[in-house]
Parts: sequence; C-alpha cells; structure tokens
Amino acid sequence: MTADAQVDVIVVGSGPSAVNAAYPLVEAGFTVRMLDVGNRDTTYEKLIPDAGFSELRRTDAQQYRYLLGDEFEGIGFGHTGAGAQLTPPRQYVCKDTERLQPIASQSFFPLQSLAEGGLGGAWGAGSPPFSKADLAGFPISLEDLQPHYEVVADRIGVSGARDDLMPFLGAQFAMQPAVEIDSNAEAILRRYATHRGSLNRTGLFLGHPRIAMLSRPHRGREANRYRDMDFWSDAGKSVYRPRWTLDELRAFPNFSIVSRRLVRTFEERADGDVVVHAANVDGGGTEQHRARTLVLAAGTLGTTRIVLRSLGLFDRRVPIVCNPHSYAALLDLNTLGQPVRDERHSMAQFCLVHAPEGHLRPFTVGHFYSYRSLLLFRLMKDNPLPFRESLTIMRHLAPSFGVLILQHQDHPTADKHCSLVASDVGEDRLAVSYDLSVREQAQIDAIEADIARGLRRLRCLKLKTMRPGHAASVHYAGTLPMSAKDEELTTDKHGRLHRTRAIYVADGSVFPSLPSKGLTFTMMANADRIGCHVRSTLRA
Amino acid sequence: MVATSRPRTIAAAAPHEDAALLRHEAVWFARYLVDAIPEAALVERYVQANARLFAGPPTAGDAAILAFLHAHPWTLALLDAGTAFAHGAPLLRQKLVVMMAILEATPDFVDQTSQVDGVGLPLLAWRLGRAGAVAALKLVTGTALAAVVTRGTR
Repeated sequence: MTADAQVDVIVVGSGPSAVNAAYPLVEAGFTVRMLDVGNRDTTYEKLIPDAGFSELRRTDAQQYRYLLGDEFEGIGFGHTGAGAQLTPPRQYVCKDTERLQPIASQSFFPLQSLAEGGLGGAWGAGSPPFSKADLAGFPISLEDLQPHYEVVADRIGVSGARDDLMPFLGAQFAMQPAVEIDSNAEAILRRYATHRGSLNRTGLFLGHPRIAMLSRPHRGREANRYRDMDFWSDAGKSVYRPRWTLDELRAFPNFSIVSRRLVRTFEERADGDVVVHAANVDGGGTEQHRARTLVLAAGTLGTTRIVLRSLGLFDRRVPIVCNPHSYAALLDLNTLGQPVRDERHSMAQFCLVHAPEGHLRPFTVGHFYSYRSLLLFRLMKDNPLPFRESLTIMRHLAPSFGVLILQHQDHPTADKHCSLVASDVGEDRLAVSYDLSVREQAQIDAIEADIARGLRRLRCLKLKTMRPGHAASVHYAGTLPMSAKDEELTTDKHGRLHRTRAIYVADGSVFPSLPSKGLTFTMMANADRIGCHVRSTLRA
Repeated sequence: MVATSRPRTIAAAAPHEDAALLRHEAVWFARYLVDAIPEAALVERYVQANARLFAGPPTAGDAAILAFLHAHPWTLALLDAGTAFAHGAPLLRQKLVVMMAILEATPDFVDQTSQVDGVGLPLLAWRLGRAGAVAALKLVTGTALAAVVTRGTR
C-alpha cells in the first residue's frame, strides 16, 4: 500500500461531470488529482481515414476492421438492447464494466463506463437545459444553474437555433448557430412549417436540437465537416467529448490524472483529511490518496458503489430513476425516391417536443436521427424477408429511414431501487430492481401513440417501436438525491453527502428525478456549480 | 471478383462445419446476395467470423437446414425465405447477415450495397413492387420447403 502526497481535491472519474467539476478548481489554482480507470480505444481510432463515410466506403480496404470490428463485435444478433448503438470504435467505452462493475437485475440493463471521458465518449451530444418545470422537486432553482449553463455551453460548444422550441429548450448566450440538417429533416421541417398551427394545437413542436456539436471553430476544435463520420470517429473534435476538456486540464501544472485506478472506498480522518483507497486494475494491490476534499463523479452507479461500500451499507436500498425510452423506426414519405445530400452530420437532425399542456407542465422530448452512416445489414437482420429482396428494398428505402428516440420523465417509486451486495469472489454486485407501474406505462403508451399520430401528419410512418430495456439509454440517476433534509444517503443542495464533512457528489446520482430531456448537459452544469462551491469552501 | 460459374454441389455435412464447408457457404452467399464471387480474403474473413460468432453447436433445426443447403446449394434463396419468419434467429439467416456485413464493408461491393436515392417515385415503386412480389413467392415456396427439411427436428 502506498500513500501519495496530499492534494487539495481528488476527483473520481473522468467523464462529463468529473471534468466539469474539476475545471473551476484547477482554474483557481487548487491542486486536483483525478483518479480513473481510463480505458481508451487503442485499436480503431488510428485506422479510420480522414475522409467522409461515402468516400471511405469506396476507397478504404481496411474499413472492415472498424466497421465490423476485429472480433466482429459490430455484428450483433437478436434484441436491440443496451449498447446496440455503439459502433466498434466506441465499444471501448463499456470495456471491463461487466467484470469490475457487475449488475444483478432482471429489468435494468445499464451501459456503464470505465473509459477516459466516461460515457461521454459515446454521447449523442444532446444538450437541452432543464426548465423551471423540469427542476420541480429539486432543492435548486434554474437561477442557481443558469450561470453554469452559460459557462459549460462555452466550454463544450453548444449549437442550436432560436425557433419554436425556445420555450422548451431555452438558449445560452454562448450558443452557436445551428448545424446544418440533412435532407430528411429539411423535408419534415418544411412540412411542419405548413401545418405548424394545427400541430402546435395538438401539442407537437419541432425545431433544431440543442447539441454539443460545433457549427463554428471553438477552443481549438473544428466546425463539423459534414462527413457523416460522427458515429465512428472524433476527427476534428466537432462533437464534444470530455476528453477535450481533459486535454485542457492537462495543460495546468496543478492538475494530475492517475489512470488505471478503480476507487473502492473513502474515509474521513480525524485530522480533517479524506483518504481514498484505490485498486490498481493492472498490477493489483491498493493505494491511498489524500486530499482535503473528495468529489465523486464516477457515474451514478460507480459513485453509488463507492459510497455504499465506504459507509458499510451493504444491502441498504437507495432509489434509482432512469428515462424509459424507445426507438421508433420511421419512414419519411416526403423524401421517397428523392435525391438526398451526402454532406451531413450523423447526430440528431431535429428535436420533437410533445407538450399538450404547454411548456410550464412536464413534456416529452424526442430526437430524430437519419439512417445514413450505418450499414444496411443492421436493418436487414430484423427484416423478415429473403435477404436478396430485402437488400433491394432497404437500399431504396434507407435514405428515407429515420429513428426517433423518445425518452420519458421518471420519478422515484418503491419499485425502483438498488443496493450493493457483498461478494466473496470478485466484485460486489449492484442489485437493481426497476419496474414501471401500470399507470406509468399507460402514460408512456398514450404519449407515444399521440406522437405517432402527429408524425403521420408530417408524412412520417412509424414502422416499429423498439424498447432496448431500462437504462440502456444511459440516462439513469437519483441514487443519492439532493435533499433539503439532512438524511443519510442524500446530498445537500451543493452536492455534499449529508453527514460527511468534505465528500461531494457531482454526477447524476444527485438528481432527485429526471425530466424527459437528457440529463448530461445539466449534469455538467451542476458539476461546474458544485466545483465552484468546493472552490469557495477551500478558499474559506 | 465476379464469376458466373454455378456453385458446386457437395455432400451433406455434419452440423459443425469445417472450414472447407464454410468457404463454400461464403461463395454461395455472396453469389446469392450480390451476384459475385468474393475474393479469397473475404472468404477467409467469413470463416473467421463463423469461428468467432457461432462457436456453439447448432440446434437440430439449424443443422437440418444447413445440411440440406450443403447438399443442395441451389435451394439457398428458398431456405432463406423459409426461415425468415422462424422463431428466434435461425443460424442460416445469421450466417447470411455475417456475409452481408462482410460484403458491405468491402469497397468492391459498394455499388451493390449502398443506399440508392433520387430514382423518382415511379421507378422506386416498380423496384419495390417487383422485389416484394418475388419475396412473397419465395416466402410461400420457401416456408413449405423449410417445413419439410426440418420435419422431425421440432
């Protein structure tokens, strides 16, 4: 067992929350040490040529390696489940998690990460801020978060438009102009514009998404080059990845990162220090790290493990929430047989909001992706036709295919909980039980049926709905919720774990509930807020 | 890359195929999917993918279908159609997906496997209608054939 020199702050994790919690501390001159396993893609990134998807398919003889994977991991069979959206160059994000972060559940199938940059390495980059309505039940207000939304929007680069979605998604001063959308989305938005009045009356609103993708060069990163390679490569750094912030942090002499470490427990010593016990995932053995303050940002489930193990609270139930979500396969009848532009980005093309009760009440958000830079065999395998004819049909229909990813709000209930189960062999398991009530499922079904009716008016035909399983969306949270009450296993409004002196939680664990929007952008803004608070306590 | 010779007919095989059988499958599947015979490197890639993805023994139904295919490769289109609606993911269909993926990820076959746009609605309707009609015929005939082939295995 070794002991390193004390630092001001230890940050556990290197994902979206960790880097944004660390930033204000590092910028202020405090010594910050980041502990993380830090898996990376060492295989595919260097193989992918700096070219567009269509061009490399015509020219690169090595494409099979990164399109299919050296172990053919890009060819999946069966149910569309957790991780189905990850291309081989993104699969490093989930590497080792089954072994080092095992889950026991019949109903909850989360993607977890031990990668450098965490789940942000495969993030869809959706960046809608929470509204006042979204923050109902939180002990913080929109005013508390607003300045940090601004800082983070500038740090990560968010693009969007001031369109019909303004009341639902808001805007930051730092927001860049919207990235260009593809032919599918253009046609659907044109149709929306001609039927805006009647669609809005039914509660359906469309517009550009808020997305952490650059339309203008920013902080050494390039504007998107519309090469349709965003599922495969980060060339140009247009789409935000936490690694870009990590690169900025590495330039500070008071920042250090220790990789290949899996943090297991912490303890607060009588002398005021926090000691963190971390395992070396390569060499074995454990080591200690000392700091004045600890910020846990290892991802909701990772942080929950560390807290429950540190406090010896095995088998103690804590709540958990996640956005129930679905993939709706759509056929855009507006573009059938029409020419489509090859220059495009791969991320969400437009955002859909279903708000029959207006923007002051809870609403549902969806993001539309076209099916362009993925191979056809993925469509064909789910198609009950002879493959030869299926190939003909898919080749002609795929330019008009889209996927609408819908995610629904979630609140804690007695049927959604997890607990840490000690194991004599291997890692402790996190046992998760997650069940929607009949009423919750009925609400989801009704909303999705309503949205499907609206889509038909936009000449978008829903072909199929896929439900990859709870938590496969990676939007899970709420295990150590912020609470105004001083209760065990909750955090105060600054993210400090109640009944501790200097243990802060800066990731999704602290969200008491989840609105329909993706939480990542708000998680980053909240992490920045917590980092700023820790900074002020250290100064004091 | 492209050849016009008919696929060889070989004797029915044991369910756990050896590499030689897999090489035949690669050629039959590529001919079926894109009317071409693949280069040796693609055939070997198919063999490797089978070793990686289909390590376990096939079910009795899958084994019967594959054995029949190995003996009568000309029935591939019908067996494919006949297993399209089968419960689970029949091994033959999974193998075809693998070959399709390999062909798609090869510059040689990009013209046969890329998305097609801008053909106009009339031509699109004609092509989809024709493919749909052929598929329907194959589904009817193939389902009957698959039922006969797998009789006694369920």
